[in-house]
Parts: sequence; structure tokens; C-alpha cells
Amino acid sequence: MIELEHLTKEYGGVPAVRDLTLRIGPGEIFGLLGPNGAGKSTTILMLIGLIEPTSGRCLVEGIDVSRDPKGVKQRIGYMPEDVGFYGTLSAEENLTYFGRLYRMEPAPLRNRIGDLLALTGLAGVTKPVGGYSKGMRQRLGLAKALLNDPPLVILDEPTANLDPKGVADYREIVAGVASEGKTVIVSSHILGEVSRICTTLGILSAGTLVASGTWEELGKRVRNGTSGPVTISLETRDPLPGLDHPAITGVEYRNDRRGATVTASEDIRDSLYEYLSGCGVRIREISCRERSLEEVFLSYYQGGD
Amino acid sequence: MARQGSGLLTIAHKEFLDHVRSRKFLLILGIFLVIAVVGIISGVADYNKSLSVYNQHMSAASASPAPDTMGDKPSILSVFSSVSTYLVFLGAILGIAMGFDLVTKEKESKSLKILLSHPVYRDEVINGKALGSIAALAFALAIVFVLCLAALLVCGIIPGSGELSLIGVFAIVSFLFIFSYFAIALFMSTVSEESGSALIYTLIIFIALSSLLPMLANDTVMETLTGSPPEFPRELVDRMETQGNTTKSVSISFDTSGNDPAWQEYSSKLNAYWEKRQALTDTISLFSPTMNYQKISSSVTNTESGNVLISGTGSGTGIVASSSFAKAGFQSVNVPDIIAGSLVNILALLIFPILFFGLSYLRFMRLDVR
Repeated sequence: MIELEHLTKEYGGVPAVRDLTLRIGPGEIFGLLGPNGAGKSTTILMLIGLIEPTSGRCLVEGIDVSRDPKGVKQRIGYMPEDVGFYGTLSAEENLTYFGRLYRMEPAPLRNRIGDLLALTGLAGVTKPVGGYSKGMRQRLGLAKALLNDPPLVILDEPTANLDPKGVADYREIVAGVASEGKTVIVSSHILGEVSRICTTLGILSAGTLVASGTWEELGKRVRNGTSGPVTISLETRDPLPGLDHPAITGVEYRNDRRGATVTASEDIRDSLYEYLSGCGVRIREISCRERSLEEVFLSYYQGGD
Repeated sequence: MARQGSGLLTIAHKEFLDHVRSRKFLLILGIFLVIAVVGIISGVADYNKSLSVYNQHMSAASASPAPDTMGDKPSILSVFSSVSTYLVFLGAILGIAMGFDLVTKEKESKSLKILLSHPVYRDEVINGKALGSIAALAFALAIVFVLCLAALLVCGIIPGSGELSLIGVFAIVSFLFIFSYFAIALFMSTVSEESGSALIYTLIIFIALSSLLPMLANDTVMETLTGSPPEFPRELVDRMETQGNTTKSVSISFDTSGNDPAWQEYSSKLNAYWEKRQALTDTISLFSPTMNYQKISSSVTNTESGNVLISGTGSGTGIVASSSFAKAGFQSVNVPDIIAGSLVNILALLIFPILFFGLSYLRFMRLDVR
């Protein structure tokens, strides 16, 4: 269980994260979503004890990160966005070094490294990490994050440099980790990626948590119209009259006025149908275009600003 | 510390291996070894010359019923004087090369964030890095000194226990000197974002401490700060002239045994002047690891320079006043005496690494790892 309680971080008086309160349960794949500069990485760095919060606290399995950072780090596997390794060492040597820092016994460590390198497709690669591509480093980063078999895995922009095969492997690995009852936090600004693997998510904008919950919960809010305007497409056999409705925020007519795109603050298809029928306009099609996920979450970001 | 241990030693072990496997370390160590051997060979040649001169004096003295001053038997330590000359420059370079990118390299490769995400305290990281580097430095110096000793033995020179102790003192002081510049480089590495900047800042400090500071201690600057030495009393000059001696003569016949009041006054003034100058020079020297090292190694290898001596012979026939002189040869000074004589310099040499490592430690503990 991860708990963030009224977490705030300021840099020189400028807030990077404001009063963030969040709970993430075991076995969840939690997506921390937000545009660049939203405070995702700062939140993660506070969670792993690399920076001190200005106020509030983080608890990992009941342990306060500020009070026992070493104990928390023992329970966390972390892959930063700009994952860096020791370029003169091989993948195995890098992981051996990190494994020793986790105080892992040599024999289990050797076995674990072998398994993880095979899992991430790096088995048999003996060249120094300095010669790796970004994608290979990212794979190694994933292996590093899983090295100590932690109950909490934190991945910051995990697919940024991966090729399609790497992304597919990554999704499979993360799903496997979550199926073992471990918590995975994925920080990303790529909605498509988060939507593919995460079971719950929180949306950060300008350091503030503007929405959080399961996909269903967030979808319900969208369907309830609480998340912004809708777009209605109209196609008729007769020229359209002037459209007037309190919910309409904009209308674009076709040149022959036998069609229009209506933007409204809510779904007013029924009202439009009744009005046009009353005017004797024969309707060919009236549809409400569902907004893409990107549009929905963009509205959250804008709301957060 | 109980909470440290595994993390500290793991990091130190890796740092040590990183250093001893790195090309720059091996390259500098290689140069080190070459100059150590060359230095020892030239030192041995000088030593053998001094020894034969000493032996000639000994033979002459044994034949003469009233032996004159024989001088001292040359010391084996004088062999190391040329090694110390090379060490002053290359040792500093080795220390700087090992320290300037110790932290910046981690920042640049982004490995610092991943390292600190492991269950280690920050002090374990910086202490481990320093410990690994110290071990590598000690390893390099140990190789150099073992090779020097081997070269001595090959040349047929077998040091005694006292001389071995002094060689040990020289090795420790050399280590402290290299460690001073390592600590300065480490500090620059913690405050800089890039290795290039850290190197440049460290080199600027190195130049300031090894070249600019000694310039402050030269004769011209010293005379500006302390004024000119007291003039030779007119009264004594007049007396010399009336006795028919010219001022060009070095043979002066007045009483320097302590009975002539004019000479006594001049002598005490001159002594006070040179003591003041020496105190100022010594104080300036304390701020430079290079100057401290030179002074200590001169004491150890017994090739002191820069001293001032004024003396009158008991017969009242001579005066020596000099701003610098050098003497070669070994006086039978034991290890505690030499350490006591250079204690201030040794302490100053200790303060440099302690100060800069302390600053590095404080800076690293507060390092922003965003």
C-alpha cells in the first residue's frame, strides 16, 4: 500500500507538487499521467526518498520515507526516465553491483540476473553498457527495477526509447509483475501507453492532482458531461435554419447549409432533432462524436491549469 | 559505523577497481614508475659521488693528526630527493586526475540518481568513493616505493632501519600531498555539473597553490613586505677602512665573538629581520600543499634550501650572510626530530584533505538529484 498525504514540494518558493493526497493499493498498476512539468518526476523522487517534501509525507507499506529512506528503498525497484548505468561495465556487472547494494547473496543474485537478462532480451550481451542503444538501456533499466524482487516497482517514462517489440515485452513483464500482487507505478505523459496497461490512474497538472480513479470512474465522469464540450455532426436533405440553443457554443455550416458541426456544452441531439423536425427539415444523420482519450485528458490538464 | 558497512565497502570496492582499471590511472602510474626509476638511478649516482668524497675526507682525516671538518656521511634518503622533485608535479596531476570526475561522471552518465535509489545513505556513497580512491592512491604509491626500494637494492644500497623509517615517512607525506589535490578535485567535482568545469577549476587552484603562492614568498615580494635588511654599520666599515682593508675584502678583523657592541647590535637586528622574513615565508607556505610537501621532503631527504644563516666564527674572522643556500649530505637526525621539525607543515598538509573532503561531504549530502 502506497499513501501520499498532503505532499507538497516547492523549489525556491515555486510549488512543483501541491497538496497531493493519493492511495495506491497492492496489485494495482497505477498510471501517473500528466504533461511535461506537471510534477510526476518530483512526486516519484519524493516517494523513493531522493528529495525531501516541503510538507506532507509518503508511506510505503506503512514506512515513512523521510524517517526510514533506506528501509523504503529496500522495498522499491526504480527505473528513472533518463536511466543511467556505468558505461565501462557490462549489464551483468552493473546488475551485480546494484545487487550487492541490496545485500543480495552472490548465488541467488547470479541466478536473478540471469533470469532478468533473459526476460528483458539482454541475455548473452557482453559488451559494456556504454555501447548500448537507448532501447537496450531501457530494457536494462527494467531489469534493474526488478532486481531485488520489490513489492513496489516505479517506472518513469518506461517506453520512451523502446521499439514496438520492446514495448510489447515491457507490457507483458509489467502485467506479470502486477499478477504477483506487486504494485506498479508508471509515470508517463503518453496517454496511449498508460491506457494500455494501467488499472488506475491519477492525472497531475501543474503540480495538482486533478483527477484519479479507475478508468471506469473517470469514463463515467466524462459520460456525465462533467468533462467539457461535445461535438455533434448534422446532415440534412433540406437547408438548415439558424440553430439556437443555450448549450450551443459554436456552429459551422456547410456551404449548401445541408450540414453543420455543432459544438455544445452537453449532448443536445434530442433537442436538435425535435427542433429540426418542427421546422420541416428532413434529417439524414445526427451523431455525437465521442471525444478521444487525448481530448478528454487534455481537458483535465487545462482544468488543472 | 554500524549502519554503514556493506554499502560503503561495496562502493569503495567498485571505485578502487574502476580506478585501477582506468586508462588514465594506468598511464599516470606508468609515467610515475618510469620517473621513479630514473630519479632513483640519478639519485644513486649523486649519492655514490657524495659517498666517495666523504670517504676521501675520511682517509685524509685519519692521516692528519688534527682533523679538520669532515662533513657528514651522505644519507641514502638523498637518493629520494630527485623522486620528490618529480612527485611534486606528477603526484598532484595523479590526485587531480583521480578526483575531478568522481561525482560529475555520475551526474553526466545519470547513474547517480539510480545509485542513490538503492538502500545506501549518501554519506556511504561519498565516503565509499573517497575510500576506494584512497586505496587506489595508496596502491599506486606502494608500487612506486617498492620499486624504488628494489632499485636501491639492485644498486647495492641497503637502507638501515632508521633510513627505512624515513622512507616510510616520505611515502606517507607523499601520499598526503597527492591526497590533498585529490580532495580539492573531489570538491570541485561535487560543486560542478560537468567534468570539464571541475577539471578547469581544480587546475586553476593547483596553479594558484603550486606557482602563484610560492611567487609571494620570493625575495622581491618579501622585501616589499618586510623592507630591506639592516645596513652594515658605518662604524664597522670605517674601522675596516682605517685598518687598510678594502670593502672588497672578505677578511674582516673586528671582534665578532660578542664583545663589539656595534657588531652585536647589527647582528641582532639582522637576525630579527631574517626571522621575520622566514616567519612570513613559512606562514605563506602553509597555504600551499606543494610548498609544505617540498619543505617536508627536503627535511626528510636532507636537502633543505631557502634557509638563512648568519654566523660569526669563534676566532672573529668570518661572516656569512645569505638568503639561500643548499647543503647536501646527511646529518644523523632521527625520525622523531625530523617529524617534530616539520610538524607544522605535516599538520598543514593534513588540513588540506580534511578541509576539502569535509566540504565535498557537506556539498554531496545536499546535492540536488532531480
